[in-house]
Amino acid sequence: MPQRSPKPADGLDYRAIAKQFAKAKAAREAREARDAEAIEKGLPTEKEQTEILERQRERLNARRKRAYERRWWWTAAFWAWLLAVHGVGIWLFASGFLLTRLVLEDKSSCAAPPVEASSSLSSGATLDVAGGCWHPRQFDRAVVILIDALRYDFTVPEDPATAHAFHNALPFLYDTAVEAPQNAFLRPFIADPPTTTLQRLKGLTTGTLPTFIDAGSNFAGTAIDEDNLLMQLRDAGKKIAHLGDDTWWSLFPDHFEANISKAYDSFNVWDLHTVDNGVIDNIFPLLETSRDGQWDLLIGHCLGVDHAGHRYGPDHAAMTAKLQQMNEFITKVAASIDDDTLLIVMGDHGMDGKGDHGGESDDEVEAALWMYSKRPLFGRTSPEFAVPPANAKIRPVNQIDLVPTLALLLGIPIPFNNLGKPIEEAFAGRKGNDWANLAAVSRLAAAGIERYRQSYFKARGISQTEEPGSPAALWTLANAAGLSDKDAYHALTAFEMETLQVYKRLWARFDVPRMVAGVFVTAVGLVMLVMYASRPADDEFVVANDAELDYAERRLELMNLKHEDEEVHPDQHFHQKLVGGLADARVLFVVGVLIAVGLYRKQPLDGLAALVVTLLITGVISALSTSGKTLLNALPRTFWGWLSVLLTLSHSIGFASNSYTIWEDSILLFFIATFGLAALVSSLRIESKVDRTMAIYHAVTFIVIGRLASYSKLCREEQMPYCTSTYYASVTSSTSAPWQLVIPFAVFIVLPDVIRAFLMPSKSYEGLAPTWIGYFFRGGLFLSALYWTIDAASNGGWLADKVSEGTLKSAGVYLAQVVLALSLIAGSTSFAWAPPNISILSTSAKSGQLVTILGYGNAMGARYLFLPLNLLAACILVTKPMGSGALALMMWQVLCLAEIVDLNQLRGEAIGPVMLAVLGNFYFFKTGHQAVLSSIQWDSAFIPLFSIRYPWSPLVVALNTFAGQILAAACVPLLVLWKVGPKQRGLLETTARALAVFVAYFAVEALATMSWAGWLRRHLMLYRVFCPRFMLAALVLVVMDLVGVLVALVGLRSNTLAVCEVFGWAE
Amino acid sequence: MSSALARGPSAQATESKPKAAISAVPTFDNALAKGVSFGRVAVLLGLLAARFEHLVAQPVLTLQSALPVVAVIQVAYVVLCLPAAGSQQAKAAKKTRPGEKKKPETAGTSSVVTAILALILAAISTPVVHALFILFGAPFIDHVPHTFLCAAHFSLLGVFPVIYARGLDSQALVAVAGLTAPLDETLGGLLGAVLGAWLGAVPIPLDWDRDWQRWPVTVVCGLYAGSCLGSWLSGVVFYGKRLGGAASTTKEE
Repeated sequence: MPQRSPKPADGLDYRAIAKQFAKAKAAREAREARDAEAIEKGLPTEKEQTEILERQRERLNARRKRAYERRWWWTAAFWAWLLAVHGVGIWLFASGFLLTRLVLEDKSSCAAPPVEASSSLSSGATLDVAGGCWHPRQFDRAVVILIDALRYDFTVPEDPATAHAFHNALPFLYDTAVEAPQNAFLRPFIADPPTTTLQRLKGLTTGTLPTFIDAGSNFAGTAIDEDNLLMQLRDAGKKIAHLGDDTWWSLFPDHFEANISKAYDSFNVWDLHTVDNGVIDNIFPLLETSRDGQWDLLIGHCLGVDHAGHRYGPDHAAMTAKLQQMNEFITKVAASIDDDTLLIVMGDHGMDGKGDHGGESDDEVEAALWMYSKRPLFGRTSPEFAVPPANAKIRPVNQIDLVPTLALLLGIPIPFNNLGKPIEEAFAGRKGNDWANLAAVSRLAAAGIERYRQSYFKARGISQTEEPGSPAALWTLANAAGLSDKDAYHALTAFEMETLQVYKRLWARFDVPRMVAGVFVTAVGLVMLVMYASRPADDEFVVANDAELDYAERRLELMNLKHEDEEVHPDQHFHQKLVGGLADARVLFVVGVLIAVGLYRKQPLDGLAALVVTLLITGVISALSTSGKTLLNALPRTFWGWLSVLLTLSHSIGFASNSYTIWEDSILLFFIATFGLAALVSSLRIESKVDRTMAIYHAVTFIVIGRLASYSKLCREEQMPYCTSTYYASVTSSTSAPWQLVIPFAVFIVLPDVIRAFLMPSKSYEGLAPTWIGYFFRGGLFLSALYWTIDAASNGGWLADKVSEGTLKSAGVYLAQVVLALSLIAGSTSFAWAPPNISILSTSAKSGQLVTILGYGNAMGARYLFLPLNLLAACILVTKPMGSGALALMMWQVLCLAEIVDLNQLRGEAIGPVMLAVLGNFYFFKTGHQAVLSSIQWDSAFIPLFSIRYPWSPLVVALNTFAGQILAAACVPLLVLWKVGPKQRGLLETTARALAVFVAYFAVEALATMSWAGWLRRHLMLYRVFCPRFMLAALVLVVMDLVGVLVALVGLRSNTLAVCEVFGWAE
Repeated sequence: MSSALARGPSAQATESKPKAAISAVPTFDNALAKGVSFGRVAVLLGLLAARFEHLVAQPVLTLQSALPVVAVIQVAYVVLCLPAAGSQQAKAAKKTRPGEKKKPETAGTSSVVTAILALILAAISTPVVHALFILFGAPFIDHVPHTFLCAAHFSLLGVFPVIYARGLDSQALVAVAGLTAPLDETLGGLLGAVLGAWLGAVPIPLDWDRDWQRWPVTVVCGLYAGSCLGSWLSGVVFYGKRLGGAASTTKEE
């Protein structure tokens, strides 16, 4: 919004100023002559005059500074308001989209089985816990060993020729199932996504399906109040002991025997052994016969396999060692139990190729289940089932099926909400032909499900269908008289499976009005943002860095100071009007009445919030349009404007297709090359040969860097087989290859010189720059490289016999803390206090003293560059070696972009910020991320810390995840300030507008992913593709708003204050 | 622009670009040239349609075998329709354009020589186009013959007529590359090829599992369609118009 007033901008005005200046000069000369006269007469007027002038200058500066600060605060207030708008929109949509399930409070009780006791209750059931509630009890006690992330293929034999590190290391389960099929069986164990431990424990104990909204509570951990196995056991007077992962304790407080249970911290991914050793050391004493009666259910939750996966990926020697340890452990446990104890070994989920989990890819959901009894009990209904399935696609069981199985075997009631069905092997009899028993247990489970179904439908007010194939029809069919036991069993199984499907669909129930409200608020907010970013037709960014003109103008102002007491900046009240309009009495009245009525009538909060926010936005929109910022003005008027719109829209429209979402990284490269080519063509039109050559050079460099960076990639599952990951040592690893250590060292050597090369042409490598960039920044890069070397040494065990792992880890952590302190704390401090990157050269010429200011033309930009550099150093530390190279390339590319923008005079165009947004997204992918949950690099939390510490750990993970976007946001002011002198006006307004364009890119993305995810909510790929992309876009939008205010705007303010302190305020 | 403000001196210079220096390349004003010009488009698109199955099945072989055929078509087209760089015809055609009918031009041997030279230069430009494809994300290490042949076809369709008509006049070539030259069949063909190839990449990532989505089938189709459409449009509809006319001033702002 710079320069709406008739500022001396065009040639005419320039001449006018020159004329006025000449006049003033003449007047001054006359005055000087008078002064000379005065001196001759002995009166000291000259000195006094200068002092007066000096005081006036100071007053003017102080006043302008105050005005600037006021403007700045109002601008920041507007951005805070924008953050609130985005927050409300996202909250509305997410609360309707991320699924919720109604939790029924009902509990099963021993005395009230879901089937008529007389008709079909199994013979032998005694309706009490001693004999078995609903079914004869088979075991007194059970030992459950939960090996976190035990993927099914870890447990089945693999041809040694093609085996990986995770194969053939845990053969005990398979071998026993083959050798003694009546004592043991092994089957694939399919988890329902999300595959996080907390969700899985809920499923494994309640028998229900998790819904997505639960996923967020993984780090909070809330107690389960639904009916579940542990609650039933406790209510039946049984004792439960627990060893291992402390997630259980937050889910089941007060369930475990205090003196024999032991919980361990679950999030210290770095630590492979503490939890496992704790479980192993503490479990065997409890298995001794002398400890009978101290427990009835013993849970041992081992985390080593999961942590080995997170830290190294499955294909690593550490994984082999871990699995071998587990093999030995289970062998010993199996030998230690007695005849009346059931032993269960299972995984709660699998892991993907890199050892991470959370999503719903095949590798993540395919866990293993092994049950063992010293007393022969298990049977197979068909001879070909004797050998465990070769892969997880054959005869899998659902994880919830464990719930009725375990309940019936231990003689307790099946939890009320259970949707699982009994596992065949456990009830088929030793010969595998006990169809009567199978039918009986199946009927029990099915009747429980039917009971739950009726309660749930009643509670939710849903009517049931009776059409063929529906659960109701299948239920009738299964209960038809005259069925043989075998047929009844199959009919009941069909009913159970269909019911499960119904619930899977049902709990994919979305709150459409809320989603629509969310989309609407986000869309209206976007309209406001676009209007804010628009430019009235008579408004231009003025690139007038004419020192003489500035000087002349300044003199004029000083001379007029006495007469014109209050000069008002053209945009002094712009933001104040926008934000202050919200506090208008009428608006407050309407909003107050709405809220009061809403609260009084107890209306849902969402509709009210949507209405209020829409009203407020409308107010701001009308204020914007009275300031001349209309949607019409936002229409692109130039090629670059159209290109910006094309890139923004095509990127976002592409999210409607799963293919374009999956291949987003390649598409962004295509966009980068497209812009580069356009910049190249545009460069050829530059008249000045030097400028043209430089513009061509930067355009070509821009494209080549993009392509070079594209070699750092982490493929998502859906990209296979057309993609090769290079981010880690191998596809099945999450550590870097040793050769990749070259990259951070190369960055350390090259990057400071590259930055220097960008500062040299404008003579801006002055002031603090040589020290800061040449020593501190470079030093930080070196320490980061050192950190990753230590990390690699620790992972690879290079110094295994010389230095202990603990020492290496502490060395790494302290090193990382030093880098962060250097880049963020020392960096921010020096950024706040640094003088401009200028140097004053005075040479004596014939005519007198000649003063040259080196770096004047880039005084604003060169100094601001420190801020992104400091951030870059921090980002490079928390990013794996491959990513550090990518981020260094990003900085280089951003500087090229700044040059392109300057040389092609695109400063007033939207394309600069849009390309910055594209680059930010691009480097999100190039730093080893994808729009899937499992690509979050949780282990980055342990780079500067030994254990999880709030709020630092989430902040580090966020810095690792959004490094690209955060850097891009911090560079938005750089595009505006680059090659701009200290006398430039309207920088705050121009930066705010550039930031608006930048954020608008992400807002369009959020709106699009929101709309598509809502529209395609029944799509097969919803949870694999659309939902994660929406969550990413929503998070990024909020992060961009925050970084925009807290880094970009604050940085701009600090920069302007520092530069204008030296050069005086231009406006 | 309505609000032309004081910008750097270079911007003002840009607006007063030497527009007169670079003129459009006219096609010969005779029935043969018009026929050939139109016929070329038909033949090229027909060829593409006829060989499409083969292109999908065996891209390398098909592109390779099509290369000499397309080269012959293109040479015939430029010789019969366009004035060679620096030839008398070019100037004659320019002079007589507003005036009355002239004697039908015939292609001299000199234009054939120019065509062959231009063909060699276009061949030299192929690695540059290849590099450009790679920069846009084409595979670098594998599929080299695919990309290279695609680049060769691009050079033949887009670059070759430009070189034939402009020669090595660097000022003219810079004007063509900077899109400041007026639209004519050669520039239109080049621009169309670029846009067509760009759009051709759009369907590649879709998960339709069609054989024709394989590299570089869609790009080849796009560049053929784009080049034909572009050269026809700018030869007939937009002839002499400048992209740089209104756009160049706005673009530089």
